Amino acid sequence: MKAVGARLPRYDGVAHVTGRTVYVDDVRVPGTLWTKALRSPHLFAAVTKLDTRKAEAMPGVRAVITHADVPTNVYGHLAALGVPADEPLLAEDEVRYRGQPIAAVAAEDEETARAAVDAIEIEYEEREPLLDIRKAFDPDAPKIHPWGPCYSHYGPHDHRRIRKGDIGRAFEQADVVVQGVYRPQAIEHCPIEPQTGLAVPEPSGRLTIYSCTQGMYFSLGVVAAHLQLPLNRLKFVGGTVGGGFGGKVDTATETVCALLALKAKRPVKWRWTREEEFLCSSTRAPWHIEIADALTSDGWILGRKTLTLHDSGAYTRFSSYAVTKHAFHHAGAYTIPNIEFDGYVVFTNRVPTTAMRGFGVTSISFAVEMQMSRNAEVLGLDPFELRLRNASRIGDTTPNLVVLKDPSSVPVIQAMAKEIGVELAAEYRGMTNAPRSGELLPEHLLSSVAQNGKED
Amino acid sequence: MKLNVNGVERSVESLALTSLLVVLREELGITSPKAGCQQGGCGACTVLVDGEARRSCLVPLAAIDGAAVTTVEGLGDPESLSAVQAAFHEGYAAQCGFCTPGFLLATHALLAHTASPTRAEIERALGGHMCRCTGYVKIVEAVEAASGGVR
Repeated sequence: MKAVGARLPRYDGVAHVTGRTVYVDDVRVPGTLWTKALRSPHLFAAVTKLDTRKAEAMPGVRAVITHADVPTNVYGHLAALGVPADEPLLAEDEVRYRGQPIAAVAAEDEETARAAVDAIEIEYEEREPLLDIRKAFDPDAPKIHPWGPCYSHYGPHDHRRIRKGDIGRAFEQADVVVQGVYRPQAIEHCPIEPQTGLAVPEPSGRLTIYSCTQGMYFSLGVVAAHLQLPLNRLKFVGGTVGGGFGGKVDTATETVCALLALKAKRPVKWRWTREEEFLCSSTRAPWHIEIADALTSDGWILGRKTLTLHDSGAYTRFSSYAVTKHAFHHAGAYTIPNIEFDGYVVFTNRVPTTAMRGFGVTSISFAVEMQMSRNAEVLGLDPFELRLRNASRIGDTTPNLVVLKDPSSVPVIQAMAKEIGVELAAEYRGMTNAPRSGELLPEHLLSSVAQNGKED
Repeated sequence: MKLNVNGVERSVESLALTSLLVVLREELGITSPKAGCQQGGCGACTVLVDGEARRSCLVPLAAIDGAAVTTVEGLGDPESLSAVQAAFHEGYAAQCGFCTPGFLLATHALLAHTASPTRAEIERALGGHMCRCTGYVKIVEAVEAASGGVR
């Protein structure tokens, strides 16, 4: 145990302070072409004309690609896990968010690439966009996808559901029902290194791809799927990321670079501008979360109903997984015997949303803790004591029926109280996470509500 | 045009209005200044021009013909780090490292003027540099650790 507690030098620290760390943009391959993309200026539109011939004919332009050049254009980031593909690499007849790539150009220098993008002839027929998730289910809402307003592949359901216990009885037995609406907003990851990729065709017929991805083998699989190439034709070089924060889990540049490199038979680099990073890269999802808690006047949560709308942006990417995590964590650090949870992945004409530091969990944690404080305020109870009363203990079950072996809710809440100088009553000061001696709820509530349930 | 880059006289062929960042990275192959935003907003491209910290993305070559330019490559080798480099390394003042070159050069410029800066002076000198990883605390502490250690 020499490492635990020791201050070890960073293995990459000397390289960082001497300018020797090689990020993707620092890789030097002679003859590298620059990439620029034609991106949608509209939130939602039909593409009625797309003609790249003038751009292709420009001096210095070595390759232009559209959806017609992509062996498998429509893909899903979680396709390997059974989430249906829904996102085109390059837009076909429709653009569904502002900044969506439609075509890409590789040219001898950045200026030529930019001029070639401007020379692509394109016409749109603008449509009314949908930006407010609360309106997605209205009958007259804009139809972003033919299959409906939400991702609809949760087993037999069109949304993530949890049913535990008897929620109707819990609300009948409640002394008070406290409701809250919580709307955490989108956040741009904002790495200082913009998305950058470099694809180099090798004499062996392989492609070497320098990538700033956070998921090397994941991105390898995404590129191979688009190109319909066996994995052994691709060599990924990466692991040096100039900040990712989740935003570089998406495969942003590599596939386009690879297609252009194969078409031009030259190395191709694509480095996004800061504007592209802000306007076109994925963000953390915005959410609309409604919680109703059935409470006893002495501070027990008998039941919780939750409705969540997760703004997926225009495509699914990882959102279906985010809502599942959200569902599993929506009781927070507490155990609630009766639960009704409905979480929807809703499509809008925003940039697709994606991974970011605990995505799905942070949003519901924010909502849960706001709700717990609101519960205490309405009941006139101490917010620490209300939390400790409902805190998870050994043997309790989470919303998805995981039996907790060592939950840390009790010691963490006690430590927080101590750190900010809150004096807890003796009953709560001495509390531990030891298994309850009896049932979850006190005896006078036992007959009124169910203790267990099942997820469906 | 000519530049003295890290003590070496270089003839430069780029067009007069090319940014110093592009000259360094694309013509001279010196890659420590980073193209974080290319509009003067992030500080990752900062280099020293005649000892002053400048955003190389905003400096046209024509404006600095004959100047002395220092990048991180000119501060110290892995075997002989400058006091600022050593303080950043030992103080964990870099995580992803992408913004680090700019911070190092801004710190060198600050400490060349002000050997023992106050915290407010450090914050002013580094105020235009964006770091997305560290939260700045360890960076400011590293500058304090290095202060007095730079000639």
